[in-house]
Amino acid sequence: MAKRIGSLDDMEQLRKRIVSGIDPNKTMVTICGGTGCQAYGSDKVFQAFTEEVKRQGVDVEVGVKATGCHGFCERGVVIVILPEEICYLRVRVEDVPEIVSETLVQHKVIERLTYEDPQTGEKSVKESDIPFYKHQSRIVFGKNRFIDPKSIDDYIAIGGYEALAKALCQMTPEQVMDEVKKANIRGRGGGGFPAAVKWQTTRSSPSDVKYVIVNCDEGDPGAYMDRSLMEGNPHSVLEGLTIGAYAIGAHKGFVYVRQEYPLATENTICAIEKAEEYGFLGKNIMNSGFDFTVEVERGAGAFVSGESSALMSAIEGRVGEPRPKYIRTSVSGIWGKPSNLNNVETWANVPLVISKGADWYTSIGTEGSKGTKIFSLVGKVNNTGLVEVPMGTTLREIIYDIGGGILNGKKFKAVQTGGPSGGCIPEQFLDKPVDFDELSKVGAMMGSGGMIVMDEDNCMVDVARYFVNFLSDESCGKCVPCREGLRHYHKILERIVSGEGRESDIELLQDLSDVIKDASLCALGQTAPNPVLTTIQYFRDEYEAHIKERRCPAKVCKDLISFYIEPDKCKACMICLRNCPVGAISGDKGLIHVIDQGKCTKCGTCLDLCPTRFNAVTKLSGEPVPPPPLKREVTREKGSEQ
Amino acid sequence: MTEAQEELLSELRETHGYKTQTEVVMDALESLAGRSSASFGSKLSHGVEPHEREEVMRKVIATASKVDEIIDKHGKNDSQLIQILLEIQREYNWLPKEALLWLSERLGVSINRIYQIATFYKAFSLVPRGRHLVRVCMGTACHVRGSMTLSDRASQLLNIDPGETTKDMRFSFETVNCLGCCALGPVIVIDGEYHSKPSTPELEKLLNECA
Amino acid sequence: MKQVTMSIDGKEVKAKEGMTILQAAMEVGIKIPTLCYDDRLASYGACRLCSVEIKKGERSRIVASCVYPVEEGLVVETESPRVQKIRKVILELLRARSPGLKEELAERYEVDKTRLDRDATFCILCGLCVRYCAEVKGANVLGFVGRGTERQVVFFPDIAFKTCPTCKECFNICPTGVIPSDFAVNVPRFEKQPTVFPVRLRDEQNLREFIKKIE
Ligand SMILES: Cc1cc2nc3c(=O)[nH]c(=O)nc-3n(C[C@H](O)[C@H](O)[C@H](O)COP(=O)(O)O)c2cc1C
Ligand code: SF4
Ligand code: FES
Ligand code: FES
Repeated sequence: MAKRIGSLDDMEQLRKRIVSGIDPNKTMVTICGGTGCQAYGSDKVFQAFTEEVKRQGVDVEVGVKATGCHGFCERGVVIVILPEEICYLRVRVEDVPEIVSETLVQHKVIERLTYEDPQTGEKSVKESDIPFYKHQSRIVFGKNRFIDPKSIDDYIAIGGYEALAKALCQMTPEQVMDEVKKANIRGRGGGGFPAAVKWQTTRSSPSDVKYVIVNCDEGDPGAYMDRSLMEGNPHSVLEGLTIGAYAIGAHKGFVYVRQEYPLATENTICAIEKAEEYGFLGKNIMNSGFDFTVEVERGAGAFVSGESSALMSAIEGRVGEPRPKYIRTSVSGIWGKPSNLNNVETWANVPLVISKGADWYTSIGTEGSKGTKIFSLVGKVNNTGLVEVPMGTTLREIIYDIGGGILNGKKFKAVQTGGPSGGCIPEQFLDKPVDFDELSKVGAMMGSGGMIVMDEDNCMVDVARYFVNFLSDESCGKCVPCREGLRHYHKILERIVSGEGRESDIELLQDLSDVIKDASLCALGQTAPNPVLTTIQYFRDEYEAHIKERRCPAKVCKDLISFYIEPDKCKACMICLRNCPVGAISGDKGLIHVIDQGKCTKCGTCLDLCPTRFNAVTKLSGEPVPPPPLKREVTREKGSEQ
Repeated sequence: MTEAQEELLSELRETHGYKTQTEVVMDALESLAGRSSASFGSKLSHGVEPHEREEVMRKVIATASKVDEIIDKHGKNDSQLIQILLEIQREYNWLPKEALLWLSERLGVSINRIYQIATFYKAFSLVPRGRHLVRVCMGTACHVRGSMTLSDRASQLLNIDPGETTKDMRFSFETVNCLGCCALGPVIVIDGEYHSKPSTPELEKLLNECA
Repeated sequence: MKQVTMSIDGKEVKAKEGMTILQAAMEVGIKIPTLCYDDRLASYGACRLCSVEIKKGERSRIVASCVYPVEEGLVVETESPRVQKIRKVILELLRARSPGLKEELAERYEVDKTRLDRDATFCILCGLCVRYCAEVKGANVLGFVGRGTERQVVFFPDIAFKTCPTCKECFNICPTGVIPSDFAVNVPRFEKQPTVFPVRLRDEQNLREFIKKIE
């Protein structure tokens, strides 16, 4: 049984004891166990390391640790060898014996596994030299890589729970409140609402019972920041929550985690138990007289349940539908009690503000948005992963300096931020600083941190349709503008992408948007028009091409494209012919292959499988498919193929 | 019948009054015997052979005692409804009708509220699910990299739409949102194994490997 | 109880704290169109037909008057151009589902008949029947299932069998005039599904005839 921590002194001693048990020169292999790396098999890599260090007899000198997400998911499995900070990327089980014998035993770097700049060919051995990391400032997220999420000592070793000790032992709730107000933390869940204002409302609402809640429902379909934070460093969120509860005067907290995140749930439950053992949660925390307990609630999978009033209904065991929110949840939330809800990342910022002070915190970021923001930078970009940058960093810096530019040297088209509530931002705004206010000015929003990069091969009408589909599924369906508006949005966009669009459709979409925006009950409906409106605003020509010419310029929309085999490129190799799932391709050995357009289901298998050196299959849109060639024998160039 | 089940049955007969509890059991009986509940009125399971009845009854009792176990764990409180349903779902991989009826009795929650919740959230299934779970990521990042095509291919090969289960109960097919491995996108996950952008023949092979 | 003074359509109105804008307006004879509101039931705020524009200082916004509580100094406009446009489009959306709904209002707001494709299932999910059955009768025969555009009203025959024959009070509540009576009178056809309670969809033939009648 761990010793209960009763004072600031105790806390300091505990940290010293833990740190003294760690040899700073001991080699430590930290293996990313984030979702991306797990998909690449990081569990197996971890196991291989544990076995291999034993086999090679270095298990005393070398520690092996599985941590939360490091961020560079593109190059998983990511490992960092401390203290030298050697970073190896794309590590597979087969590499492990070599890493152990070369690097861990002989201290030699394996060039092959280090980062190589795709443009310059320059190698970076140290993690901090890799451009992807170099341009970030990972004050919240960076701790992930030092911590085994199941070990509270790891967190304490790097200064964890000191902020809590400071708040409870040296500050009054009012002082905590003031510091948070001065730091001007704004909600990271999308709205950007000042946390201190919300806290104050709950604090001054008259009631004995108050609640504080962590929103880890993360409904944005293209983002995983909250997940990685909750999985990788749950104590930082709990610490922030406890400090907040102290300031607000709440004695009960909830962590609402979607059930799709079982590891986040597991790590949070484990963290709560460990924190209780040290007395960071429970009765009379650090002898301050403050009691606080936390419970984990699983969300059963509904985007709209991330909305504050819906989330609170769900915690009450009722269906997660938003309620008309003219009385704020911070005044009347769960069971009618004042309830303060914040996003995972918002809570994780709180300990930083308390331990380093509001002055330090406000030195980062822009005038209106302080601190950093974590983004999940994904889509058609070279370095996908989680990045944390100061507020005010431009889109260009994020996409090009950190993200390494567009995949396969294609042309950038747009970046989508803010998930289903956000919009698509075209190239002309790439130099916009990213913060709560700037992106809203161009019709998008910073949102909770999804950042999806799109290139010339993406159809913007299709993107609008994608979000509308998502929202028609995920709306609760209670209020008319949202439910019926989305139903018609869906119908209209469906007909546009299938070439049945009408001239009046763009105007109709805009007309519906005004009403959906104004009259919907909750923010889901109120922001649902954003993806549609921004794509119309910036990519109207694409809508018009679909409607007027029945052409999809990016060649995405299935009903408007045809697959075609260019006769002069076809080498009659039979690959596509054999693999077409519906047998739509005719031809033979030596006979040019031809697609029967009537049978083709446009699954794209032929395009995928046509060897790149032939490159004979193409997509056509807005033009007729040429008739099959009269002469179907393949003319072989001399010496090309035997 | 185990002792616990027998006890439960007698409890259900005596303590709670034969009337309502039996109705619950009979309803479940009917559905389990493969009859639709269309026969309003005739509550008794006519047409079911006695030996079938016993078999079915046994199942129902087992389900009911499982549900009671789960309720005990979470507390007999309607605020725990969603958590309890999640656990029933985890236990059976779907929500059997008799479990829901029993839950309604035990928690004193109306059945329409339970059905509203069970059909609102994505985690719940009101039909049994297949032995293998095929999931295609439809997150934004995967979408812009072509997950539509991938899901169409899977649909075509499995001959079912997302959200459905094959008749032979071999596969259930689902679409999901971001799995946190966008770099691999578009991704398909078959029984927990991630596959990045498989071509049609590769996908076919992967599916064939599932017994 | 405290009194507040506010202005509705330029009229000074005194109202008791805790009232909604809709109630306050009704007391002084200003009629705001509603659909999902029924004074026997808790306000639901779903149809948004009762939307009004409120001004606090410089800022103006749209709120549902059936749920928004009165406030000191509030300035309310019940027929501003923005409000009229909202009602017009909401009626248009509703009538695509339920042709013939709220004929008078449709005329008053000059609702376009042709822009939207019709998809007539009649139920507009106002929830009046569901809520009446639950809140007034405590019977819970009717309920919602699904979410988003898939949401539906269903009824639970096992309970209906016991209560409906002697009640039938929801028959006149439905603004489309057809749904609940259909549920309760006609013996429903059941889809063979292992667990879901049957969802009653209107009979194709019936539907066509009904549409003919109202056109
Ligand atoms: C439809 C909808 C979904 C939402 N989903 C989330 C979510 O998944 N996570 C989250 O933190 N906030 C979400 N929000 C925002 C929350 O309502 C709430 O504003 C936020 O959790 C407050 O925390 P913050 O002030 O720290 O951002 C959502 C809002 C809406 C309208
Ligand atoms: S806006 Fe949409 S999600 Fe929000 S209450 Fe209305 S129907 Fe539900
Ligand atoms: S969008 Fe598919 S894994 Fe992220
Ligand atoms: S009457 Fe107010 S929303 Fe329906």
